[in-house]
Amino acid sequence: MKSFNIHRAYSIARKEVMHILRDPFTLSLALGLPVMLVTFFGYAIDFEVKDINLAVSDRDNGPSSRRLKEIFAASGYFRLVETGQAGPVEMLDSNRASAALFIEPDFSKKIKGGSRVMAQFVLDGSDNSKAAAVMGYLPGIRRAAQIRMAATPPRERLSAETRFLYNPELNSRWFTVPGLAAIIIGLLAILLTALTVAREWENGSMELLLSTPVRPFEIIAGKLAPYGILVLAGVSFVYLVSRLVFGVPFAGSHLLFLAACLLFITAALSQGLLISVLTRQQQVAMQFSMISGLLPSMLLSGFIFPVESMPAFFQYLTMLLPPRWFMAAARGITLKGADLGELAVPFLALGLLSAGMLALAIKKFKTDLE
Amino acid sequence: MNSFSIRTNDLKKSFGGTNALQNVSFDFSAGLLHGIIGSDGAGKTTAMRLLAGLLKPSAGAIHYYNNGVPAAFGELRPSLAYMPQQASLYPDLSIDEHLEFFRELYCLDPAFYARRSAELLEITRLGKFRERRAGQLSGGMYKKLGLMCALLQSPSVLLLDEPTNGVDPISRREFWEMLYDLAADKILIIISTAYMDEAERCSRVHLLDRGLLLGAGEPRAVLKENGAAKFEDIFIRQGAGK
Repeated sequence: MKSFNIHRAYSIARKEVMHILRDPFTLSLALGLPVMLVTFFGYAIDFEVKDINLAVSDRDNGPSSRRLKEIFAASGYFRLVETGQAGPVEMLDSNRASAALFIEPDFSKKIKGGSRVMAQFVLDGSDNSKAAAVMGYLPGIRRAAQIRMAATPPRERLSAETRFLYNPELNSRWFTVPGLAAIIIGLLAILLTALTVAREWENGSMELLLSTPVRPFEIIAGKLAPYGILVLAGVSFVYLVSRLVFGVPFAGSHLLFLAACLLFITAALSQGLLISVLTRQQQVAMQFSMISGLLPSMLLSGFIFPVESMPAFFQYLTMLLPPRWFMAAARGITLKGADLGELAVPFLALGLLSAGMLALAIKKFKTDLE
Repeated sequence: MNSFSIRTNDLKKSFGGTNALQNVSFDFSAGLLHGIIGSDGAGKTTAMRLLAGLLKPSAGAIHYYNNGVPAAFGELRPSLAYMPQQASLYPDLSIDEHLEFFRELYCLDPAFYARRSAELLEITRLGKFRERRAGQLSGGMYKKLGLMCALLQSPSVLLLDEPTNGVDPISRREFWEMLYDLAADKILIIISTAYMDEAERCSRVHLLDRGLLLGAGEPRAVLKENGAAKFEDIFIRQGAGK
């Protein structure tokens, strides 16, 4: 009587599959979300800033100023725009340019003479993330200008060069696999589970189920398993598209990545179960899931905003959130090829949080049957 | 052969400040068709849920007996079937899929299941609609499907919470005919209803009014004891007295 009966859990799971196949909402959400996210992050959302309109005020119009403009254009980040009648500042004001370059009248002459020259670069600061990205491009351009334009190339005694490891071009698409896996698991697993168990309450069928010999744990296992598989399929889809279409590299162990996914999925499914037990209504469960599932995965996991630069309170808060640890583990595996030893902390934290969440959900589910 | 009977001792259940049941002592003797009669809010569903083990009493106790010998709830549970009052089937699953699902939940032997489901479809005359989804069944058919799911495992104890509520008179009659057939098997059937005319169809009645047991026994004896011609009169008098 007390023992877990795999056949009963299986029959619950089989019934759940029928529900999924017949419910257009669940099915389209489960299939549509990964496709939508990959398309968004692969094509539309690019954290790199390119093709910045640069208004140039060239009061020199000599060989050196032309070369300077070429260097800007050749970097690939800037598109030179003619200022025409309006000055560069008006161009910035009217949003026709995001940056402006002022070249002094004797620019070429001064260079030829070997004296110090100045060019002023003005940047639209109203979009700070864009401005920060553009700032990052400037040292490289300055260096290129020094080498190519000086009469005698400067002999640097000490030079500092920055090279980015693991993702040398800082290609933002490379973050898609870990980032989208976190969002898909964090949103889909929580939302779908919360909905399905809440539906069972709303439907009245939970009462009927509980009067049969089926054990609470069999209901949980049977209801969660199909969604676990569905979510894993979504992650696999993101992985395949990223690898095959966008050529995102994968440095580490696939097995370890799967383990991280499974731990995070367990935590997310448990969270969904907990939400549905607490709310018992699909509408409320959905709102809860959206907030508690999407926000941490998007904003507090380190996917978009680095955890290290958050205020201390939020840094501690993220420690309680499975997405943060999943993100750390997933990034380590996909980009750095880190092994379990190096990822001991994220894995341990993820394991503990998942186990804790599952235990809490099961306990609440069992006691709430009263 | 299991023959269960159930007795409750000063059963009490309260939700927050409301007392749904107050010191109710039921005696459900084996092999009979018992009716818990009462209007809406009398505590019928609470009583049913307590008997089905879905709720725990606030005070008092429920005693289960098998052939007169005290038995644990765990002994009775596998052969207990409960049909909730509210809709509790899956609108997107067909009749066949419901039966198949409950076969798996009860781990029924395939040969037994084939015989039993054919028999039930015959009795309920739902054979023609096996492919139809529960959401598209009429009220009466829906209740019959609920009953089929409950009866699939040939229970020894059958708890039906207002099975005829909202069902048209013809279907109600059919439903009762099915219940008589079941009662012939000498299983313990407990049915709750707000329809007073159905009280007379039971072999024993238990009158429940606002959480209190007004009387119990054979329908005619209860009427005679209260000097009433109809069951409504007993409830109306009770209401006027308060």
